[in-house]
Amino acid sequence: MKRLPIDGLNHVTPPASPIVEATLELVRDVARRRFADYPGDWAGFAAEGADTLVTAADIEAVEGKLLASGHRFDWSASISAAERPEAYKPAAGAEDASDFSFEHPQAVIAPGDDAGREQRGVGDNVVRHEKNVIGTARYIRSNARVLAYLTDGVPPGTIAVIDDSGGTLTAPIIEQFTGVICAGGSVRSHLGILSREYGIPCLMNARVSGLRDGDRVEIEATAQAKTTEDYQTGTERIGRIWRLPAEDIR
Amino acid sequence: MSPRHLAFHGLAIKRLADASAVAGLVGLPPAVVSSELAKAVATGRAMEAKGGFTLAPLARVALEASYGGLYGDLREDAAFEAAYQRFEVINRSLKQVITDWQTMEVRGERVANDHSDDAYDAKVIDRLAGIHEKIEPVLKALAAKLPRLGIYLEKLTEALEQAEDGDIEWVSDIRRESYHTVWFELHEDLLRIMGTVRDE
Repeated sequence: MKRLPIDGLNHVTPPASPIVEATLELVRDVARRRFADYPGDWAGFAAEGADTLVTAADIEAVEGKLLASGHRFDWSASISAAERPEAYKPAAGAEDASDFSFEHPQAVIAPGDDAGREQRGVGDNVVRHEKNVIGTARYIRSNARVLAYLTDGVPPGTIAVIDDSGGTLTAPIIEQFTGVICAGGSVRSHLGILSREYGIPCLMNARVSGLRDGDRVEIEATAQAKTTEDYQTGTERIGRIWRLPAEDIR
Repeated sequence: MSPRHLAFHGLAIKRLADASAVAGLVGLPPAVVSSELAKAVATGRAMEAKGGFTLAPLARVALEASYGGLYGDLREDAAFEAAYQRFEVINRSLKQVITDWQTMEVRGERVANDHSDDAYDAKVIDRLAGIHEKIEPVLKALAAKLPRLGIYLEKLTEALEQAEDGDIEWVSDIRRESYHTVWFELHEDLLRIMGTVRDE
């Protein structure tokens, strides 16, 4: 493997700030990969290769990864936050009230039934439970939210709405969920395995629409579990997801 | 590998853990990990919550970007790569076995396994033992190139033996180093080394 001159210098003290360290590591990672593709040695790469081989898109990807971690840059002129709200810390008071919803093209929805339950989607039940479960839908898709829940605890009655079927993001707080709606994976995914182990009702491969943070939801945990054979034969076996009237607390 | 890297790497795999759990995973003295994690908290690289530590998001980004430089040679090593691919194949069977451990077919329906049927459980544990037999040479091949990975075979063997001796919590219980817990961590470790992402 071709190395950067700085690789392996263990005596290099880490940068003081986490954002500087993350940026440097990401830029080095790009340089390392581009250098690997360059036929010559480091001196040649530094003198002539780097300018063309490391592209603007590479550096945009570096910024993208920093932002994906939840980091927002400080700004000195508020025009920065106005022009690129996704990259900068919001101006005071501009914190967004989340109106986000998963919108799956195959979400099976239905108008309200007698109890006022409005079907907002379906998913694959990982195991059948005795009772359906009711709680408050909370999207958990950012590190910031996981960390806040880790520190302050997950609010009671939380039905986590997530899209990470490996459980990578939510693993440390999964135990505190009342239910899980996961937009990906299958009943054999790691998240499926974890939720069964904790006895938490969970629908995987969920196809939902119009389900927003704070909605009261009911998961059909009593639905039959989807089986390996069902996936192989394409058999439809689903658990339903309803949005409940706000005042409905059972 | 620097102690700082190993401590961060172990913490990333464990997600939320104390110093001794991280130390046991990456083969460092607990005191060394304690000191690294204390420094990490002081410099904004980690947070302490609910009796454990967790990596800060930017520290996770930096860690993930560093793997290419640290494990580039391993990624290009044909024997290591072949063993890793073998792991991924066996991993699919493992997930099926764990699912069959947690659920069973009763009158044509998949229901939670309440572990009242000893014969059923014994059969699944037998299948787990079969997987263990297959993964043993794979883990030895991996550890031949990266010795610290040898710890996983020790832990998996320990969990399987406990389960075979009748303590069935050792199959998949999340609160201990059960077979599935250790396997999950092993998978996470390998994904990081190879620079790939979990498919589900």
